[in-house]
This record gives sequence, structure tokens and C-alpha cells, in this order.
Amino acid sequence: MEQVIHTTPIFWIIIAGYFVLILGFGSYFARYNKNTNDFFFSGRRFSWWLITMSIVATGVGSHSFLKYSAKAFEHGFSSTMTYMNDWFFLPFFLFGWLPIVYYTRIRSIPDYFERRFNRNVRILATIAILGYMIGYIAIGFLTMGKTLEPLLGWDLYTIIWVVAIVAGIYITFGGQTAVIFTDLAQGFVLIFAGLLVFILGINYLGGFDVFWNALPADFKLPLAHFNKPSNFNFVGIFWQDGVAGSVGFLFMNQGLIMRFMATKSVNEGRKAAAFNILFLLPISTVVVSNAGWIGKAISLVTPEKWDASIKLDHVFTQVSSLVTSSEIVFAFIIAAVVAALMSTVDTLINAVAAVVINDIYRPIVKDRDDKHYLKAAMVISAGATLLGVVAVTFFDNFPTLYEAHGFFHSTMTPPLVIAIFLGIFWKRYTTLAAVATFVVGAFLMYLGNKYPAGLIGPFDHGIEMDPTHPYSYIRALYNTLVCLVSGVAFSFIFTRKVEVRIEKFTANIVVNAKAHLHSTEQPISGLGRVYYTLVWGFSNMINSFVLNAASDEKLDGITVWTLDKAREMFKGSKPNDTPGEDSIVHWKIEESADSFVRFSRKQMKEMAANVGDLVYLSDKRRWLGGLKSVHSVYAEPHDEDGIVYMTPDLIDSGQLVKGKALRAEKEM
Amino acid sequence: MHELTFFRTWLPVIYLYVAGGIIFSAGMLIIYKSKSIKLSRPMHKRWFYVLFFGYFYYLGIHTFLTYAALNF
Repeated sequence: MEQVIHTTPIFWIIIAGYFVLILGFGSYFARYNKNTNDFFFSGRRFSWWLITMSIVATGVGSHSFLKYSAKAFEHGFSSTMTYMNDWFFLPFFLFGWLPIVYYTRIRSIPDYFERRFNRNVRILATIAILGYMIGYIAIGFLTMGKTLEPLLGWDLYTIIWVVAIVAGIYITFGGQTAVIFTDLAQGFVLIFAGLLVFILGINYLGGFDVFWNALPADFKLPLAHFNKPSNFNFVGIFWQDGVAGSVGFLFMNQGLIMRFMATKSVNEGRKAAAFNILFLLPISTVVVSNAGWIGKAISLVTPEKWDASIKLDHVFTQVSSLVTSSEIVFAFIIAAVVAALMSTVDTLINAVAAVVINDIYRPIVKDRDDKHYLKAAMVISAGATLLGVVAVTFFDNFPTLYEAHGFFHSTMTPPLVIAIFLGIFWKRYTTLAAVATFVVGAFLMYLGNKYPAGLIGPFDHGIEMDPTHPYSYIRALYNTLVCLVSGVAFSFIFTRKVEVRIEKFTANIVVNAKAHLHSTEQPISGLGRVYYTLVWGFSNMINSFVLNAASDEKLDGITVWTLDKAREMFKGSKPNDTPGEDSIVHWKIEESADSFVRFSRKQMKEMAANVGDLVYLSDKRRWLGGLKSVHSVYAEPHDEDGIVYMTPDLIDSGQLVKGKALRAEKEM
Repeated sequence: MHELTFFRTWLPVIYLYVAGGIIFSAGMLIIYKSKSIKLSRPMHKRWFYVLFFGYFYYLGIHTFLTYAALNF
């Protein structure tokens, strides 16, 4: 590709400087990774504001400046649709999935499937979730490549390999704490950079009135046409993004789940999610789309300055270059965008490592020390980066990044989304039904892909079928429905009682077939051996799918109907819900082999805490956001008010500073 | 460019908040019935109001933006 936008060495020095600064910032905080729990989950310590800002960079990065600028240029303010339709699922998330994930301390989404069903369902979920995340990484790399393509003039894949190596190195050594802090910094920078483009763009055009009046009413509507055109219509995008995408992002994006698990409590996680959706997403949508709107206005007001031959995915770069009269400002904006994409990719690479370590590696390679798993996680991070690069070729076939992402969400998310959803909210959802959601659902989705006119057509809401990429968005509705119907129908047919019967029945067949195969009294013929081997294998397979079919007790704490149990299991005893006040204390060391903290009687009373309750202690300086903090358990009280006695391991784990006061909060 | 028909202007807003409203109401009903949200707890009660506020907040934004695009 030819270099479209010419740059000087200063531009590249600023880009490199920005990366060094941001990577250095994250690496500084990587020292807080003491074990795999810190590497993946940051030790459940952070305040909501820190997490919500770090989510901005992940969300903005993944949804990308490029793809929204392209759609904003083509279709106007309706490019904001995808950022403004996430609230509908929030009750399910805040009071369903989030507390379950937090209280059950699940390490990954497949881990949930094993607890809810059994090991085989976990394997199916692991395959699905890894496919989803690798696809997401590939889209991230493709976006970064397309951002830099007009600037470098290099081949797209050369750029992708270079950024993949940088991303891989960083995440391999950084871990989740580094990612959270890098994203925190970038959350602020991204919002600033995006709004800067908007302000400079308005200024370039000659004021807001010129901008607003230049655009036709159709362009300014916040939602797209109901069902036209096939590559961008409201109803298709509602089902693809508002339903499959929103649930996918909130419920099965392991990277995002890990962010919420890094908050100090469930309530802080709720605050982070709600604040993000209510306030930061509307701002973010302006941040990522405005270059397209400004570009359209420039092309109408001063058409001689607009290069009409530019590719849609390069609109952002073109507008930034035009409106920023200074190369330094342009370099800063490009650096911020590329670094944000890096954050998204890094979050996902970290999440892939978490899934592979916890769902595949740990069950096979057991009882090793934490350092071993940490090293393995680093190797897996590098492998995930490589796979992401390889997967880029598939998504590069779509006309724009937006359509590639849309097709990806419509296809990859429905089976997992339905399985998670029914698992959390429907007690009658059984193990065989979960298997059917993945297997039968995937088969019906495959049929829909093969015969779109006949199968997806009835749900198309009047959208015209594009034969090259049929029903890129509305297929999400068909895919979601077939997975839902498979799951519900199988739950009614194979109820838990039926599953128990199947388990006993197949176990008997396995025993009998084995007896025939090993019988010395009545040896069987060659054909008989084949027959009994097949019977044994098939029965064994069926048996393994219904083994330990969920009983009522097994559902404790892992459905929305049994959340009180989850809280009890998290604490280890009945939660103490009596409201108390926070306490400010200074710490002193008390040597002991066990981990505990001891407060004065008076302060225990103020906090309404009992011995055995959980406590969260953090550095009093709120701006640290919980970086220096630790969770522990109240032990027997003493009589020195204002003093907390802590064991050395807690002081070390919380990275507490001598002489600095702590804020103590009773948990739950 | 599309003509400003009902399919282009208000139908998407109505569809979004009716279909989305069904999903939202189902969520509120399930978390209430399952006692995941307990209105006897002051903090949960606040969250209950925040959830409803969010629905109407977005409905307000989309209604306002559609009206502004058509009239200003």
C-alpha cells in the first residue's frame, strides 16, 4: 500500500515516546503481581472509579475509532446505536451474573460451566470461549493494522506482526494489574484525544452551527433506518449488538469479567458497570464516532479539501490529519488510538491465558507451585498472540471492520450467551440441555448459514439479503432463537430425573459391556468384540455427559435463585448484614503463622463487626483506588483504639506503607 | 439518503424501547422474584431506582435526539 498521509521523524518519535511512557506506567504496577491470582484478577482490591475508567479503554479500543468513524461518515449519528443499547441487560448483570462470578470466585467462564453442569460441558464452553476471544484479538490486530496502514505505507500483515510482537511482550510480563493501570491512564487519554478531534473539527469547520446545519436531518437521527440498507440497519444491529453483543460483552467477555473481579466488592463492581454505561458510554460514542461526522461535514462544506477516494476504514486517520494543524497533536491522537487498541488486545490475551491455565493446563498438570503456572501463563499469552495474528486473514475478507465485527458477534456469541443465561436464570436447565445448546444450536446455526434465505429469511424484518454476506446482523436473532429453543426443548425432554435414569442405565450398560469384553468363561467372537466395544464407548460417552447431573444442592450459589448461599459460601459462614461505619486505623505487626487482623472492641462495635467477619483494609489515600489494600478476617479484639494488629503476610500482600493510616470496611 | 418516513424516524425508537423494555422488565422481574435484589435493604432499593432511571434516561436521550434531528 502507498503511504497516503506523509509524516516526519518527529511524528514517529512522539508515537514511540507515548508507547514507552504508557508501557512503563503499566510495568511499574506489574510489580504488584505476586501470584497467579494477582496476575489474572489483581487480588480483588480496586475501587469502582479505577475499574470503570480502565473499562473505557477496553471498550473504546475494542469498538475502535476506525470502525465507528467509517460508519459515522456513511450513516451519521446512528453510528452511536451500539454504545447506547446496553442498559436493557443490566438488571441481569448487576444482580445476577456479577454476584455469582464474584462470590463463587470462579476463575473463568468455563469454570462456571463445570460447577453448574459437569466437566464435559466445561470443555464445550472452553472451546467456544477460546474461539470467541481469539476472534476478538484478531479483530483488534486488524484494526491496528488498518490505523497504521495509511501512515506507514507498509503491507498490512507486516504492521500486524510488528504490533503483535509488542503486544505479546507487554502482556507476557505485565499481567492484569499492569493492564488495569495502563488502561486507566488510557481511559483518560482516549476521551481527551477523541474530544480534542471533535473540538478541533468544529473549529476547522467554523463553528457548531456550520457543522449542524451542513448535515441533513437523515444523517442526524440517532438510530438507523429500520431495515435498510442490508449492511447497516436498525433492527439487524439491535439483535446483533444490542442483544448478542451486549450480553456477549457483559457476560462472556472474560477480560471484562476479570476487571469486575478485580473490584474490592460486588457493590463496587455494580457502581463501575452502572457509571460506565450511564455516563462514559455516551461520551465514548461521541469520542469514537465524531471523526466520521466531522469528515462528512468537511466533505459537504469544503469538498475540495476532502479526498473522496479514501477507504472508509481510513476516515478517522484522514480527519485527524486534516483538523490537527500540528503534527505533534496528530501524532498524540494516533498514538492514543493505537495504544488503546493495544489495551483491548492485551486484556483479551490475558483472558485467554486465564482460561487456558485454569481450564486446560491446571487440570492436567496438577500440584505445581504458583511460579510454574505463572511461567506457563506467559508462554500461553505469547501463543494467543500468534493465533490472533493468524486469524486476522478471515476477518480481512469483509468490506469494513464494522461488518466483520457484526458477523463475528452474530455467529460466535449465541450458544455461549444462551447457555450462560439459562444456566444462571433457569433452575430447570439441565446438563444435556446445555450440551444441546452448544451442539444442536451450532448445527442449526450451520444450517442457517448454508440456507440463509429459507431459515434466516423468516426473521429478517424486511431486510434485503446480500448474497455475498447474507444477513450479517439479523442472523443473530435466528442464531439466538435456535440455541434458546434447543436449550429449552432439551430441558423439558431430558429433565434432571430423566438424566439420573440415563446415568444409571448407561452405567449398567458400561459394566455389562466391560464384563462381556473381559469374560474368560464365555469368550466372544471378533464381531461380538467390535459390537461390545462400540456399546461400551457410546454408553460411556453418554454417561460422561450426564454424570453428576445437577442436583438442587449442586445449584447452591450458582444461580440467581440461590445467591444467599453464594454469599454464605464466599464468607464461610452466615453474612453479617448489620450496617456499620468505616474506621480509620494505624497498623502494627503481630507475628503469627495464621493471617488475621485485630481491632479494638470499640472499633469493632462501630463497624458492627463480629469475630470471623470479612474486612477490607486499604490505604486511607482514596486516590490510590485500592492499590495498597488487603482482605482479611476479624480476629479477637483488643483495647487499643485506632490500632489494628496485622500479620506480616497481610502487610506484604497489601503493600502497606509504614506510618500511613488505613481505612477499614466490614465486607458484605 | 433515506426519506424521512416512519420507518426511518420513530419506528426504530419504538422498537428499541419495546423490545428492550421486554428484556429489561424480564430482568427486573427475575431479580425481584429470586430475591437477588431485596428492597428491604436500603442499598438495594437505591439500585432498584437506578435501574429504572437508566431505562428512562436512555429513552429520553433517544427521544430528544430524534426530535432535535427532525426539528432543528
